[in-house]
Amino acid sequence: MTNSYPSGSPGVPDSSMPTGAPGFMPRRSSYASVVSGAASGASQPFQQPARSGAFSHLLSQHPDFSYDSTYSNFGGHSRYENRGYDMDFTTNGGGHGRSGSWGRGGQLPSFSSAFGLLMNGHGYGGFGGGHTDQFFVPSYLKGSKYVQKLEEAHKAKLSAHKEGHSAQSSQPGSLSTSASSINLHAKMAPSHRGMTYDLIEKAPPVEDEALAPLPSKWNNQDKHAALEVLSDGQEVKFTGPKPERDRDHEAYAIRADHPMPPQCGIYYFEVTIISRKREESSIGIGFSSKSVPLSRLPGWEPESWAYHGDDGHSFCCQNSGKHYGPPFTAGDVIGCGVNFRTGSAFFTKNGDHLGTAFREIKGKLYPSVGMKKAGEHVRVNFGQSPFIFDIDGMMSAKKKHIRQEIEATSTAKLAPPLNETELIQSLVLQFLTHDGYVETAKAFSEEVHAEKKALSLDPNAAVNGFEVKEDEDAGHRQRIRAAVLDGDVERALKYTNAYYPNVLKDNEHVYFRLRCRKFIEMIRQGAELHNSTSTNGTKKSNGHSGDWYDDIINQEMDVDDHPNQNNWDRMDTEEPSGNQMEYQRLLSATLAYGQDLQAEFQNDPRREVSMALKDAFALIAYEDPLNAKEVSHLLDPSGRVAVAEELNSAILLSLGKSSSAALEQLYQQTTILLEDLREGGGPGAFVNIDDFARPKIGQ
Amino acid sequence: MASSTASTTTPLRHAFERRVEDIKPLKSDINALILDYLTTEGYPSAAAKFSKEANLRPQQEEESVKARRQIQHSIHSGNIQEAVDALNELEPQVLDSNPSLHFALLRLQLVELIRTCNTSPGGDITPALNFATAQLAPRAPTNKEFMEDLERTMALLVFPSDSLEPPLAALLQPGLRQSVADRVNKAILACQNQRRDAAIRNLVRLRAWAENTARETKRDLPAAIELGLDGDERHEARQNGHEPMVT
Repeated sequence: MTNSYPSGSPGVPDSSMPTGAPGFMPRRSSYASVVSGAASGASQPFQQPARSGAFSHLLSQHPDFSYDSTYSNFGGHSRYENRGYDMDFTTNGGGHGRSGSWGRGGQLPSFSSAFGLLMNGHGYGGFGGGHTDQFFVPSYLKGSKYVQKLEEAHKAKLSAHKEGHSAQSSQPGSLSTSASSINLHAKMAPSHRGMTYDLIEKAPPVEDEALAPLPSKWNNQDKHAALEVLSDGQEVKFTGPKPERDRDHEAYAIRADHPMPPQCGIYYFEVTIISRKREESSIGIGFSSKSVPLSRLPGWEPESWAYHGDDGHSFCCQNSGKHYGPPFTAGDVIGCGVNFRTGSAFFTKNGDHLGTAFREIKGKLYPSVGMKKAGEHVRVNFGQSPFIFDIDGMMSAKKKHIRQEIEATSTAKLAPPLNETELIQSLVLQFLTHDGYVETAKAFSEEVHAEKKALSLDPNAAVNGFEVKEDEDAGHRQRIRAAVLDGDVERALKYTNAYYPNVLKDNEHVYFRLRCRKFIEMIRQGAELHNSTSTNGTKKSNGHSGDWYDDIINQEMDVDDHPNQNNWDRMDTEEPSGNQMEYQRLLSATLAYGQDLQAEFQNDPRREVSMALKDAFALIAYEDPLNAKEVSHLLDPSGRVAVAEELNSAILLSLGKSSSAALEQLYQQTTILLEDLREGGGPGAFVNIDDFARPKIGQ
Repeated sequence: MASSTASTTTPLRHAFERRVEDIKPLKSDINALILDYLTTEGYPSAAAKFSKEANLRPQQEEESVKARRQIQHSIHSGNIQEAVDALNELEPQVLDSNPSLHFALLRLQLVELIRTCNTSPGGDITPALNFATAQLAPRAPTNKEFMEDLERTMALLVFPSDSLEPPLAALLQPGLRQSVADRVNKAILACQNQRRDAAIRNLVRLRAWAENTARETKRDLPAAIELGLDGDERHEARQNGHEPMVT
């Protein structure tokens, strides 16, 4: 045992080739290089550890983890019939067995472009007709809570696909909320206000109806046969034979892939008429429900509304139109907007608002166009490109209006008889004591007390104290929190067992997370020690300089059952240095601890437990995990915060107190109330809680 | 995480409450909200302690939060002249560029002078009259509201202080000091390019608005949505002096 973890390990036995490797290693493929280049490799945390020697036998002893990931991954593939997926993914074999940091990390702006090509046709296909595009956000919906949720769901879905957990894919965000990922995938977003630790993910968004995606293209399955969808769903052309009888009531229509979601508040799209013919156009632009026949122009039938180019009339569910705007023809850009809050619709022509066209609009409505003449041809913009009309301005005016209404709202009814200032003071103080910020709570109550005293007109009147009761528990909790935040899990465990002997027994998941964190801290300590003593910087864990590794892996993939045939002697070696002894000692302690941990929880059936273990043990595959971008986030001290909070919550619950402070509850309630108010295009559609609750400096 | 909240769930709870429990605000958001409040509204010592305890970068230097608090404190205690002097020292342009705020301060100063003569037996109204004549009267004609405010304030001298109409009596309440102090604080922040309310105020208003609107539109809600200041925690809070300010 002891000879298998000397660093550099010239003497590491063959058996130290991690069996985990097949699951983690991509075969060489163009895809892998695309992603690792463009997406900074963050998607492949296990891709290429340069040296797996030190702890690998730990993994070897417990091949379940790696096998599991490999197999579940392959298993996952088979469930996706999508051609693009198979083609692009299976070439990678198990390379993506575990790449959870995609969705959970959440911060991969380069991802969509790098991946979009490969993922084309795969996007959020699970939601709708099975064909979709990469995710886009129409400019006027930027900052919309609803679209944010769509985006989160989209990312979660992608990472679910990546992980091959198709069972999870029906629940966007579920990965992000698993206990292990909260801790281990602490985001390391660049912070503008000190340390950011976006650890506690929002709850999974409500599914289906509430999360209907945005229209993104014309629906090839929902069109008249005479129409042809071109240009990846963005264009429609009348290519069919000339109508046998050129009768006025015959026309050919198409609908978009998804209905316009009322939760947007306002939905808007634009259609450019690109048919060459300069003659009178007979195109109708508007929206209709799914039941409207496709052999008619939208607007002529019940449940359809449209603006027609030949006469400029608006048609509301009937054959006869009303005078509305100018006619339109080739070259014109016609916009169609629905305000779900008011149930009205308007059109624009070349950027000019033409006024309200319809009122009392109801139903599940799809953007639709219809045409009557051969050669007619339109292109739609569902928000993938900038709009001609200033819909952004209209949207922000609505938002501003509602914001003013909100800012003028009295809070007197929330917690009578407290006025707004007193309510906020109470909320803040309650939060500070609840969360164990003892020093702050004291300072705050003194300052508030001084303020009240100053405001009191009678200098002799006793001003009710605002001081914090000396709360023994608060002090204990503060000490425990401080220990976890310092990375001293042992001390936290000691305090917790001393003050709250039942908490860890009753909250095994908290206990597990503390143990895991301790292991991570040990790895961290070792890595720090190693980095500070190791002066030769030539070996970087990411710097897989040669092909030897891939060779081994490829060979390995073929001989899964005999993982002990590799020549690890080829690994670089390292001179023992002065601190090497200390490092060795720490390594063996870490190892022993890891084995204990493994022994204690290896049979735990919970997925989050095995995930967390897998994540933690993955660290040992890296020589310099602190600087390996695939895993360094696991070691970030910000990961301690979630553990500390979870422990704090468990203690509070054991004391019979609510696990969330009143201020948090207020936030939670507001979130749900707004969700309700977003339904059917209510005023909540124009409100994003982040705009209110996230302080912006110098706004 | 979910399990920690789920354990308090009982089958009788309203669906709304169950949905509420599933929302997990980011700790970082809440902490930022707290620090923003302590900084913006000027609680220097608490802000400094909090940025230490919660490991957050201070939003503004403690000195500058302190300076604002000092001015607020002077106004709260009725020492308006002291506040004006300190303000002119800190941000001289604030009053020059904001005549209405300047007038509000002067008017408050007049109220304080009137209060002094009301509370001392046989009080002399001369200082108040002189101040009004010298400081407020020349400014009043520039703005209709100023004139009304001045007239209303002067009425305090005419009527006995124990039988004032409510709008007049309100002038003598600490609420006026508080609102002037808030305006001064905001003006200083604006001057330092930090103009706005503390975000927590908007969050609390948003909460009130959302409930009002949801009830107006007959959404299915529990009869009362408790903030959680009640119960166990509320009890503590009560003891700690959350009694409404006696005004």
